[in-house]
Amino acid sequence: MANLSIYIVTLLLFPILIASFSPENPTDRRILVLLDDLSLRSSHSIFFNSLQSRGFHLDFKLADDPTLSLQRYGQYSYDALILFSPSAERFGGSLDLAAILDFADSGHDVIVAADENASDLIRNIAAECGVDFDEDSSAVVIDHISYAVSETEGDHTLIASDDFIKSDVILGSAKIEAPVLFKGIGHSLNPANSLVLKVLSGSSSAYSANPKLKLSNPPALTGSYISLVSIVQARNNARILISGSLDLFSDKLFRSSVQKAGSSTRYGKSGNEQFVTELSKWVFHERGHLKAVNVKHNKVGQSEEPAMYRINDELEYSVEIYEWSGTSWEPYVANDVQLQFYMMSPYVLKTMSTDLKGLYHVSIKVPDVYGVFQFKIEYQRLGYTSLSLSKQIPVRPFRHNEYERFITTAFPYYGASFSTMAGFFIFSIVYLYNK
Amino acid sequence: MATNLGFLILIFSISSIYVSASVFYPISDSHRSAASEIFTFSDPSLEATYEALATLEVLGVGANSDVQTSTCKSVVDTLSLPTSNIKNLFFGLRVNRLLKCELSDGHFMDITARIKDSVPGANSLLDFYYSIGSLIDIKGQTSEVDVNLENADGIFRSIKALSQSDGTWRYSSNNPESSAYAAGLALETLGGVVSLASSEIDEYLINTVKNDIMKLFDSVEKYDDGAYYFDEKLLDASGHHGPLSASSSVVRGLTTFAKATSTSLNLPGDKISGLAKFFLGIGVPGNAKDLYYQIDALACLESNSVLIPLIPSIQSTVISHTSKDELKVRVTTVLGSAAPLLSVKLMQVFSSGSKDASIIDQELKFDSENGIHTLEALPESVDVGKFTFVFEIVLHDAEHKKIYATGGRTKVPIFVTGVMKVDKAKIAVLDSDLGSVETQKKLSFEEENSVSLSANHLQKLRVSFQLSTPLGNAFNPHQAFLKLTHETKVEHIFMVGSSGKQFTVVLDFLGLVEKFFYLSGKYEIQLTVGDAVMENSFMQALGHVELDLPEPPEKATRSPPQSVDPYLRYGPKDEISHIFRTPEKLPRQELSLAFSCLILLPFIGFLVGLLWLGVNLKSFPTSTVPATFAILFHVGIGAVLFLYALFWIKLDLFTTLKALGFLGIFLMFVGHRTLSHIASTSAKLKSA
Repeated sequence: MANLSIYIVTLLLFPILIASFSPENPTDRRILVLLDDLSLRSSHSIFFNSLQSRGFHLDFKLADDPTLSLQRYGQYSYDALILFSPSAERFGGSLDLAAILDFADSGHDVIVAADENASDLIRNIAAECGVDFDEDSSAVVIDHISYAVSETEGDHTLIASDDFIKSDVILGSAKIEAPVLFKGIGHSLNPANSLVLKVLSGSSSAYSANPKLKLSNPPALTGSYISLVSIVQARNNARILISGSLDLFSDKLFRSSVQKAGSSTRYGKSGNEQFVTELSKWVFHERGHLKAVNVKHNKVGQSEEPAMYRINDELEYSVEIYEWSGTSWEPYVANDVQLQFYMMSPYVLKTMSTDLKGLYHVSIKVPDVYGVFQFKIEYQRLGYTSLSLSKQIPVRPFRHNEYERFITTAFPYYGASFSTMAGFFIFSIVYLYNK
Repeated sequence: MATNLGFLILIFSISSIYVSASVFYPISDSHRSAASEIFTFSDPSLEATYEALATLEVLGVGANSDVQTSTCKSVVDTLSLPTSNIKNLFFGLRVNRLLKCELSDGHFMDITARIKDSVPGANSLLDFYYSIGSLIDIKGQTSEVDVNLENADGIFRSIKALSQSDGTWRYSSNNPESSAYAAGLALETLGGVVSLASSEIDEYLINTVKNDIMKLFDSVEKYDDGAYYFDEKLLDASGHHGPLSASSSVVRGLTTFAKATSTSLNLPGDKISGLAKFFLGIGVPGNAKDLYYQIDALACLESNSVLIPLIPSIQSTVISHTSKDELKVRVTTVLGSAAPLLSVKLMQVFSSGSKDASIIDQELKFDSENGIHTLEALPESVDVGKFTFVFEIVLHDAEHKKIYATGGRTKVPIFVTGVMKVDKAKIAVLDSDLGSVETQKKLSFEEENSVSLSANHLQKLRVSFQLSTPLGNAFNPHQAFLKLTHETKVEHIFMVGSSGKQFTVVLDFLGLVEKFFYLSGKYEIQLTVGDAVMENSFMQALGHVELDLPEPPEKATRSPPQSVDPYLRYGPKDEISHIFRTPEKLPRQELSLAFSCLILLPFIGFLVGLLWLGVNLKSFPTSTVPATFAILFHVGIGAVLFLYALFWIKLDLFTTLKALGFLGIFLMFVGHRTLSHIASTSAKLKSA
């Protein structure tokens, strides 16, 4: 009876299980959206609709919903989390800072949006990712030179920024023509953290301050140190997006027209929709997720993989690399995949050539040092998940009979031995039988 | 509470993007384009279809004919089905009102009969609402059918029985929870009952309902920007009912009831205007339901018999003092149609930061062609800066005051911008103790500056300039920074202080040595002056100063680490190729071969010597057996030597030793026999 019920439960869960995140299908499927207020569903509907039309299942909850929980029976019920609840001082249910960090530590993706009412909780989540929001809680990003021209907005806190990160994998291959409208708080990146990147930065004239008060001290954040939107790709390939503006995602800014101060071009639609959509594709692993398969190596002229190489052997190494396109694995094309032949430090580091169909190959000569080596590919590129392959392979020295036998230089010695031997042979006969 | 707070934040966050603080704009084309995107008619239910059609009709956007045909078909199906529930009938009739599908009077007659039968048995508010609503719709669509209610008083009483003391309503008598949304439904239903009544409803009953309305309006909530809304206490699981749906429902019920009873309700005008502001402040909602509630409520406010709110909208709240922009105000109804004759007066101007207001009573000039009120010249006291202008709408016709709600005084934040005069800009290096000027350069902010100065830690750097408004007043910009950037990208920012028009910053390097981390070298100087009202905000590179600072003491703090350029961090690494051990240096091949030949010379000499000595083999044994052993012995020695040759050419040590072992034993045996034979022969010879 128990078996039967387990069977039925498994059968019921099966569609959920197969739809969820897996290494073979790395795009997220189930997303928990936490809101301060359900009306955000309506005011940010274009963003949510674009996610839903891309096949994501969004689960909207209030941030203080007492039933909030990311896990059920030790299994995560969501693949990603969107925190559109900047003013939440604490989450409902079992969700807290530690739970969110665990969620990311287990390889899940998070989008965090703050605004001028950002609570300490949201600031702490960002700080754990290497992003420090301006400590002055009343400060917003102001830019008197590259603001968005507006009939009704006079305090230059609506910023038109076009200082994007130069990466096709993060922002898509289509250029974002119109500036992105941003209204919110700025943050700085911890210089010691190498995993966090600025995607949208402030212009050099931007600063972070309270627009209503006279400044008494120089602001803590100024110029291009200010990051408006940042991303983190953790070592486990979990991706986190942190934005200082919740309005960045709103229908209002998606639809509004934009003209940057000092420029005469007026764009009918801001770059926000393209920017946010492309960025969300990256965050939810619809782009930039690599996998490496079919690692092979062999001696030149052979096809079998040996258990060991001898020093000075010529060998061939090949690997196939594919990129996830959101629906299928496409061949990954690049000219900077490098193989290392590694023992304590790389002895050989060589760029691999590609056949443009995902296959990368290289031939190298084994160094004349023996020991336990590794074939290593450490592929870390801006925006891509990191590939880290390593395979141990021992290298032995020459065997005793593999050295050269007929060295011309040694011929005088050999000649001497053999002539002595011949002399001995003749002498022995002559000595014994001479009369 | 969190929901309300969130809504508040939402309103502010959205409104402050376009509609700063308290400027509201009537429905415009952005709503129309959004509506055609949002209403896709993908939900086939009649309720969703009605909401879509009603909203599109109000906005003046036509639904396409495909939708109309297919909807009409489903309406006729629903209405002719005798088992359709009352809710479907209600929405079917409403859709029919909009689309005018072909329905015969017979249909209406059947439906009317069914509904009339069900009305006395209804016990929940929704049942009443759908029944009465359906009858009203039938009344509006055909005059052939008698929809009048006989027992209107009784129905009125049973609906009224669900009301609560605070003006809200319950959905049914066995559900104690009440809501504002239900109050709206109830008012609309009561309005319907009044208009369907075959005889006059008791005046007392209507007055009690009016009392309820007053109580309901006592509980209305207010935002800081003057928007009013009804809070919804009863949240349903789907989260559909919030302040928006509740307020929308109340507005609808209120206007319907007022129209049906044609009595004056004496509601305060600011609350009606506040409700209109609430709906307009939402902007363009992103989902169909919210858009319907918003537009439906605004449509009710557009033409009602209570009070029609008038919305003054400022076309641009950012006015340039320099280019003499005019302040333009347009007064319209919520949906953007023209207001009656009125004048707009600028009453007061507050300067931001100071409480005192200058009182002005200036009427704006009305341009009747475009319907725009224009403030032709700014009041004389207004220089550049942030101001709050207070406008008042004055209706010309006294009768209109009972029809329109002007919302009292409207406060509007106005930014008056201008081109500031910047002059007398100088940069100088001063000697510290005397304050005497060592080098001084003039700067011009119209063109590129590339001043090059040098200073040591005992000197000071002074940058000064003057800034004044177009009217010649002193101006203190929000952003006045002097930035020094060292070659290593370490930045230092200083505020430029002001006294009156004069702006000066003096950097005493002696006190700044530690702050500069003792980094000598070239510092780029950049001056940024900006303000929200300054049209010529600028960021200028002034040049550089070569600083000569003392050597750092041992415990001096180091400059903070600078972030690494991500593009460099992720690039491919340099290739590494292994350097192989070079093969040992060997003599030339010819030399080795020549020596090999030379080595053979002693052997040849040995052979020649033997021949010269005239050796012979005369003592070789003559008998068969010893001769055989002698031959085998020498063949054995030859075999051992040959084995050595083979060892060189191909064999390895183990094979060689094995073969040598066998050969050795053999050689010992035959050698012993041969040598003993030779020994015995020579012994015989001696003894002989």
